[in-house]
Amino acid sequence: MKRYLYLSLTPEALIASMLPPEDFGKYLAVGTKKRTRGQAIFFEINPNFESNYFNLDDIEKRCIPNKDGSPKRSKYLAIYRVLEHVPLNTINNLYLVTDDGRVLEIKKKEYTATEEDGELHLYQQLAPVNPIVVSKLNPIKFCKYLTATEHPVSVPKIAFFELILNGLADDPQNAPLNNLPYSNVDHLRDCLIGLKEKESKPNKTVIRKTNADVMFRTVKNGLFVGDNKQTLYFPLPDKSELEGKYYAWWKSALTQGFNY
Amino acid sequence: MINTIFWFVPFTSIVALLFARFFYNQMMKTSEGTDRMVTIASHVRKGAMAYLKQQYKVVGIFFIIMTIVFSIMAYGFNLQNPWVPFAFLTGGFFSGLAGFFGMKTATYASARTANAARTSLNTALQIAFRSGAVMGLVVVGLGLLDISIWFVALNYFYPIGANNGNNIIIITTTMLTFGMGASAQALFARVGGGIYTKAADVGGDLVGKVEAGIPEDDPRNPATIADNVGDNVGDVAGMGADLYESYAGSILATSALGAAAFAGMPELQFKAVIAPMLIAAVGIILSILGVFMVRTKEGATQKDLLNALGRGINFSSALIIVFSLAILLLLNVKNPYGIWGAIVVGLITGIVIGKATEYYTSSSYKPTQKIAESTSTGPATVIISGLGTGMISTTVPVIAVVTGIVLSFLFASGFNFSQMGMGLYGIGIAAVGMLSTLGLTLATDAYGPIADNAGGNAEMSELGEEVRKRTDALDSLGNTTAATGKGFAIGSAALTALALLASYVEELKIGLIRLGQTVLDLGNGVSVETSTASLTEFMKYYDVTLMNPKVLVGMLIGSMMSFLFCGLTMNAVGRAAGKMVDEVRRQFRIIPGIMEGKAEPDYAQCVAISTKGAQHEMLIPASIAIIVPILVGLLLGVPAVIGLMVGALVAGFVLAVFMANSGGAWDNAKKYVEEGHLGGKGSKAHKAAIIGDTVGDPFKDTSGPSLNILIKLMSMVAIVMAGLTVAYSVI
Repeated sequence: MKRYLYLSLTPEALIASMLPPEDFGKYLAVGTKKRTRGQAIFFEINPNFESNYFNLDDIEKRCIPNKDGSPKRSKYLAIYRVLEHVPLNTINNLYLVTDDGRVLEIKKKEYTATEEDGELHLYQQLAPVNPIVVSKLNPIKFCKYLTATEHPVSVPKIAFFELILNGLADDPQNAPLNNLPYSNVDHLRDCLIGLKEKESKPNKTVIRKTNADVMFRTVKNGLFVGDNKQTLYFPLPDKSELEGKYYAWWKSALTQGFNY
Repeated sequence: MINTIFWFVPFTSIVALLFARFFYNQMMKTSEGTDRMVTIASHVRKGAMAYLKQQYKVVGIFFIIMTIVFSIMAYGFNLQNPWVPFAFLTGGFFSGLAGFFGMKTATYASARTANAARTSLNTALQIAFRSGAVMGLVVVGLGLLDISIWFVALNYFYPIGANNGNNIIIITTTMLTFGMGASAQALFARVGGGIYTKAADVGGDLVGKVEAGIPEDDPRNPATIADNVGDNVGDVAGMGADLYESYAGSILATSALGAAAFAGMPELQFKAVIAPMLIAAVGIILSILGVFMVRTKEGATQKDLLNALGRGINFSSALIIVFSLAILLLLNVKNPYGIWGAIVVGLITGIVIGKATEYYTSSSYKPTQKIAESTSTGPATVIISGLGTGMISTTVPVIAVVTGIVLSFLFASGFNFSQMGMGLYGIGIAAVGMLSTLGLTLATDAYGPIADNAGGNAEMSELGEEVRKRTDALDSLGNTTAATGKGFAIGSAALTALALLASYVEELKIGLIRLGQTVLDLGNGVSVETSTASLTEFMKYYDVTLMNPKVLVGMLIGSMMSFLFCGLTMNAVGRAAGKMVDEVRRQFRIIPGIMEGKAEPDYAQCVAISTKGAQHEMLIPASIAIIVPILVGLLLGVPAVIGLMVGALVAGFVLAVFMANSGGAWDNAKKYVEEGHLGGKGSKAHKAAIIGDTVGDPFKDTSGPSLNILIKLMSMVAIVMAGLTVAYSVI
């Protein structure tokens, strides 16, 4: 049986599996006993990459079919400082899995900045840390900034989503908060106003650590993963594609956050 | 002696049924779509039919028992007209039949509508709307057919010209009994269907949406099919039986009042009796013409769709005003312009109630937006503001009905309050005017669940975005038009219940005469002949005054009945939904692969649980509606029964408006948030709005709509049991 290698971002882990990406995504989200559910975000990794950090030599011995002949669903290879040790050039497609097991495959693409000067951004970081941050920097610059070792607070690699701000991006003082399902949006508004007022400050933390799932419907453009030299961009399909071609996934993504 | 013009009534009833058949055949010729669509539609159809079969079994037993009781009363104790048991049976039968045909059509139409939406919005609209029209035309066709058959048959045994004009009173009051059959059937259908649909909806959502996190109409949810079945059994079969009862009830009560108002004037009496039937008959023809006027262009906007439906409804409503005057002039009834004025008042009252309903429940207006805004402070404030808005929303409908009652009374009585009989006849005919184009207005109501199910089928079949947009547009349109339909249903129920109050007195008269009491002693040496005694004299004879504690006791019990009934039906939904939750959880637990989409859930088991739950839970609320008027009559006598009817009408009408509007407003407040306001989907406001909507579900779909029937059923039971009350009441 073919073996796959996955880099999970929530939580950060390197996993070997005999399941192809779609089935692996479903497995991560809903398991096999129907008693669990949870969002999953992961990359498929080139299984032949070489690493001094991970023990990848005996994957074939460790990831073997179950006794009943069914494919091995998951074999965790590493759960600590995983992202920083996976070379960017080994990352293939991104998979976004809703908490009821709908899987969306996204291919990487060149990012073209479209924002205007002075526009503010909202980023939800996924790994290796997961705060929510507002920023004056566009995604590429934000990635470079956070991975620059000269800054006292930096990480070797980072993965994050840019989230929608609607009118707040340009006018945090007055724009309506409609259609922004974030908790404590008044605090978000204060953070944006504070950031805009301080010219020297590029970023401001809104929430130090978030445990909540990413609400996919709030993703502005897509997921970014990178280091100080390179940023990979995985764009979410546009609205018309989501409502048409990927409707089952999109409909599921829209219902996230219903749990009380 | 039946005037030639009367035959227009059975003729139009046959025409209605033929057109219903024509529209049904047209719909059946279209394709049901892909294999997946056919399979889903087949699951829903089977579930709906299984439910109806089970319901008819239970209701059948009830009808057999009641028929035996009525037979003993009629043949053993001479307390009733011997035709009562048969009239009761046919009323129930035709009412059930209307629901059955409507639901059968709807279950065949939904997949066809979805399939048509793959290529054309107009074709989808035509299929959904004309399938709704099948229900509308079947209801009015069967209603008038049943009325015609009984009118002709009873005329054979009680010739209208004979017995000093008393025969026509006997005929019309006997025919009212068939109204009780229809009401009883309607109550079972509404309560059972209401419990079913909300148990499936709430139960399915609680586990599917909240626990398993899967969206609505997702085929992985075992309760999805039951939910779709529920739309059919509750919103189609239940509504069909309900409005059959309203339609027939308003005509029968008005005819009975017409016969009473012109006692001793046979020619005028006959004209007053057939006038409501003829207005309803013309309404059928106008409804059919209206159906053909509903069409739209491709790429139509929501406004275009609304205009398309509005065109048909406005056309038939405008013409019924013209034609009803023509009928009254042709019949040469007494005070034709006054009676016509009452009809116009009835129509305006219905429109005002409909507009008020729309204002208080549509997210385009402030009240619902305010409820939505309260979501930002959590579910408790959503519940409070929804309840508050619902209570405030009763003001306009009550004032509209009050104004309608006063004006229709005044117009018909020639602005003379002493002309009680004519005035009451005016109130009755106002209700007939409201429901005269029911063939069409019911089509706009029944169309809603068809479009809703079409959307569900499109979702489950994973049809394209364009198809879903079209079915969504049709569904959304159904929600808007339903508000007007509800206005007419609630308004006519209040007016008909008032007319039934007067009919009750007529039934008392017959009961007393049957017992040999030909003279009423009014005290102070004054006595009148029972056969010629007026309504006021009967009130005096039975001491129906507010100072009589029996009247007050009856009023209190009547008011309490509305609340008791709502409480029982709401708790029933909670219990039945609980069973559904257990079953859905069980299936997620024991069937591997449901969530991955690799195994199909056991839909039939959820359908069976909802069916069983609804049948079990509907018995107590429905039974008390029948037993309480009998007990009150036997224990406390006529004054208490009249008090009971008044109490039930007053409290029930206001409560029905409150519950329907609160529920509707909560539902639309949630949709308003989902459109992106106040944080949109997934926000805390959205969660609060969902809680409000869930609370409102049994308000608007179970308890609220059943109250209309409860009011009328209790009146009908009182009327049918009047003979028993006058003969055996303890005090």
